Amino acid sequence: MNIVVCVKQVPDTWAERKLKQGDATLDRESVDGLINELDEYAIEEALQIKEAHEGEVTVLTMGPQKASESIRKALSMGADKAVHLIDDALAGSDVLQTSYALAKVLENIGFDLIVLGAESTDARMGSMAAMLAERLSVPQLSLASKVEINGTAIKVNRQSEDGYWQVEAQLPAVISVVEKINEPRYPSFKGIMAAKKKPMQVMSCADAGIDTSLVGLANAATEVVDFTERPPRQAGTIVKDEGDGGNKAAEFLVTQKFI
Amino acid sequence: MDFGETEERQALRTAVAEIARSFGPAYYAAHAAERKPCDELWAALGEAGFIGVNIPEEYGGGGGGLTDLALVCEEIAAQGTPLLLLLVSAAISAGVISEFGTDEQRKTWLPGLAAGTSKVVFAITEPDAGSNTHRLSTTAVRDGGGWRLSGSKYYISGVDEAEALLVVARTGEAGPKGPRLSLFLVRTDAPGLARHLLPVDVLLPERQFTLHFDDVYLEPESLIGAEGDGFRQVFHGLNPERITGAAMAVGIARHVLTTAARYANDRQVWSVPIGAHQGVAHPLAKAKIETELAALMTRQAAWQHDHGQPAGESSNMAKYAAAEAALAACDAAIQSHGGNGLSSEYGLMPYWGLARLMRIAPVNREMILNYVAQHSLGLPRSY
Repeated sequence: MNIVVCVKQVPDTWAERKLKQGDATLDRESVDGLINELDEYAIEEALQIKEAHEGEVTVLTMGPQKASESIRKALSMGADKAVHLIDDALAGSDVLQTSYALAKVLENIGFDLIVLGAESTDARMGSMAAMLAERLSVPQLSLASKVEINGTAIKVNRQSEDGYWQVEAQLPAVISVVEKINEPRYPSFKGIMAAKKKPMQVMSCADAGIDTSLVGLANAATEVVDFTERPPRQAGTIVKDEGDGGNKAAEFLVTQKFI
Repeated sequence: MDFGETEERQALRTAVAEIARSFGPAYYAAHAAERKPCDELWAALGEAGFIGVNIPEEYGGGGGGLTDLALVCEEIAAQGTPLLLLLVSAAISAGVISEFGTDEQRKTWLPGLAAGTSKVVFAITEPDAGSNTHRLSTTAVRDGGGWRLSGSKYYISGVDEAEALLVVARTGEAGPKGPRLSLFLVRTDAPGLARHLLPVDVLLPERQFTLHFDDVYLEPESLIGAEGDGFRQVFHGLNPERITGAAMAVGIARHVLTTAARYANDRQVWSVPIGAHQGVAHPLAKAKIETELAALMTRQAAWQHDHGQPAGESSNMAKYAAAEAALAACDAAIQSHGGNGLSSEYGLMPYWGLARLMRIAPVNREMILNYVAQHSLGLPRSY
C-alpha cells in the first residue's frame, strides 16, 4: 500500500508567534520550526498501517528549505521516503491554494491512502482533508480516532463530541487523525542515522505541474486585512477573604459566565 | 576546522531531549528524594536505542562512538534528568566489553546493555586504594580453570540496579610497570558477594555500596581480555568515563542556567526583574561562558577518543572544566533563587549535589591538576 503523510512545519507552539508587518504572513524566521504535533500522530498511524499491511510510507511537505527539518524527523521515525514541494511562488498561499498544490503533487506521485493530522497549530483551518478529498475525487474520513483496513475497505471511528461515528469507504481515500488515535514513537538512534540515506525528492511548481498564477500571496482567495498584537496580560483580581471569600469567588465566576 | 554539528547529531540531540523532557526535573527530584533509580527513563531511552549508541551494531547497539554517547549524556542532563550510571554501564563497561571481550562475552552482555534492559557497573575503588590503583588489594587466584575472588570495594554506584560488576582485581605480584591487574565480570547475585548500602548525603537516585567478596567463585569466562592486562584495559574505560562525566556536568550546567535565567526574568522584587541586577546576571553569565568552554573541550576529547588519538589530557581537562562549570552554575542558580534555591519545590539542590560529586569523581580535581602539571607542563611528579 502506498501511504502518503502530509506534514507541515509550524512555529514552536511554546515560542511567541507573530505575523510580519507588511504582508501579514507568519513570521517563520524568528522562531524555531517543528513538525506540527498532530502530524506526528499521522506519521505514527501510517507506520502502524504499513507494519500491519506492508507498503511504503512517503512524507510530503510544502514549505521553505527549513521545512526539511520536519521531513528529516518523519524519516527518522521510520517513513521510507519524502517529497518536498519548495518554490518561492508558493509563499503566502492560503489553504485553498495549498490544497491545490498538494493535490497536484499527490496526482504525480500516486497514493492509496493519504494521512493528515486533523489541523495545524498555526493556521488551525482543519480543512485540508476535505479540500484534498474534493480535489482528488476520493472519499474523506476525517477526525479518525481509530483506523481499520481490510483489503481495499477502510473503516474509521470518527470522533465527535458525544462519541464516535463509524465511517467506511473504499481506498483510495484521505483520512485525518486526532490525538486520541495513538502514541507517536520517538525517533530511534538507528532511525536518525538511516534518515539521511533515504530518498528525498525536491519538486518545484513546474515539476508538479502547478500553475504559478494560481498560488502565492498575491493570488490568494483570502487576505489578512489587519491584525493587532495580543495585548499584554492584565493583572488578575485578588480577592481578600474576609469571611465572604467564597461568595466573592462565586460572583467573579458568574461575571465570567462560568457558573 | 569544522565546529559544526552534523544533522544526525542535531537530530540525536532533539530526539534524546524530547524523551528526557517528557520525564523532566520533577521526575528526577522525586526519584532523588526517594533514592529510587530512574528506571522508566532508562528503559525509554534504551528502547529508542540511545543507551547503546556506542555499542557495535552486530550486538544490538547503534554503531556510533563516544561522541554520540557523550551527547546523549549531556542532553539527558540538560533536561534536568542526569543519569549517572551511563558513565559506568555505557561508557566503561560496554566500552571495555566491546573492545576486549570475546565474541561469546559480547554476545552475552552487550545486547542487554544496548537495549537498556541490563546494567553492568564498575568496581575499582577500595577503602585503602582510592586514586592510587597500585594499592588495590582485591585479589583473584586461580582455581582450576576459574578463579576465586576476595577483597572489598567501596563507593560502588548502582549495584542494586546492575546485573553484574566489572571488577578490577590483582592477579599476581606487581611488576616494574605496576600491579598485575585483571578485569572480571561478576554477577551481582554471586554466592559470597555481600553488599552494604553506603549512605551519602547527596540527593541522588543512584545508591552507593560497599562490597565484600568472600572467596567468590568466578567461571573461566568471567575474565575480560588478557590476564594481567587489566591496567591497560581499565585505562581504556577511564577516558570515556571522564568524557561522559564532563558531558553530564555540561548538561547539568545548561539545565540550571536555563532555570535560573527564567526565574531571574520573572522574579521582580523592586521595579525590574532581578536578572537586570548585575549581581545576579554576572555570575550566571560567567558560568555560561565556563560551561560552553567545557563543552568544547568535551567534544574535542570525545573526537580524539573516537579517532584513536591520545585523549588523556583533553579528557582530564574536560572533566575538570565541566565539573567546575557545573558547580559554578549550580551555585549561581541557587543564589539567583534566594531562599527558593534551597527549597524542594524548586529542586536545585540535587543538581548541586551531583555537580559537587563531579568535582571528586570519577577522578578528583587535584589528581587532574597533578596530571596537567606533570604531563602538560613537565613539572616534577608530586606523589
